[in-house]
Amino acid sequence: MRYVKWTFFGTLALLLFAFLHYTLPQTDIVRIVGTENRRMDLGENAWFWASSDVGTAASNSRDIFFINAVYPNGKTMEYRNEDTGWGWPPYFKMDSSSTNTEAKELQSTAAAPKWVAVTHYGWRNQLFTIFPNAISLRQVEGPDVRIIPWVNIVILSFLAFVLFMAWRIWAQFKERMIEPAVIEAQETLDDLDRRADRAKAGIGGWFNRLFGRK
Amino acid sequence: MRIGGRGATLGAETGVCGMIAFFKLALFGYIGLTVIYWLLSIYSRSLERERLEKEYDQGDITGPRDAHVARGMAEYEHSLRRRLIWLVFVIPTAVVIALVWILNFS
Repeated sequence: MRYVKWTFFGTLALLLFAFLHYTLPQTDIVRIVGTENRRMDLGENAWFWASSDVGTAASNSRDIFFINAVYPNGKTMEYRNEDTGWGWPPYFKMDSSSTNTEAKELQSTAAAPKWVAVTHYGWRNQLFTIFPNAISLRQVEGPDVRIIPWVNIVILSFLAFVLFMAWRIWAQFKERMIEPAVIEAQETLDDLDRRADRAKAGIGGWFNRLFGRK
Repeated sequence: MRIGGRGATLGAETGVCGMIAFFKLALFGYIGLTVIYWLLSIYSRSLERERLEKEYDQGDITGPRDAHVARGMAEYEHSLRRRLIWLVFVIPTAVVIALVWILNFS
């Protein structure tokens, strides 16, 4: 039973972590080597792609902007650059075309690198062909710039606050509504019990008087 | 032509793009916020009632306990704290407008 419990909570924690890790913004410092616009026919991996651009028709076959980048250590990275629109996750991104232009502007060569902080959400996975979605780009001084994730700090603190408030509300509800109701129910039950006892005693007495020892 | 036609129906059905998605977000967003508003007002009212009961139980107040609580609750219904719960609707709306502005137009 203990294993079942811990497996359950472990899976839940893992899912929550994965969800937050996918949805919350992260920042990479990369060098942009190019942008492209590719036709994608999304299938089983459609889940990991955003919707069509705001105002255009929804379809699983569409042109999508991509940003190709290289990490300071030489590893490669590809970002998709899609509108999230009014949907999930709530980045309200509607300017993928502008982001595409910015990416072109920030393009650089290995000889004269421009380092760019790419804020994105999502994962890169070669197995399912999924890409993180770039939200915003900004040029930074070098590959070692320290970036403090303020947005994540604010969001996670807010989530902790919501959990705390939920717990407080539940505690208050339990103290003021459930416990008094339980006590009242118990008193009613005790009362019934006592009355039943008395009735039984009454009947017993009557029987005793009638047939019992004299 | 085929894609355009199909896409338009798809958009209407799934509501993932354009104004439909916006109205969907607004509708479900405000439904969610209404639930939160409702929970918070019950919670806040419960806290106030508890405070009034404890205040009476200190023993310095004359008159019946129920009357004291009822008077206090009537006062609470017009208090600032009661009205601040409306921020549940105001703050998320402001945050969404600010985010749309900052992330796309500035």
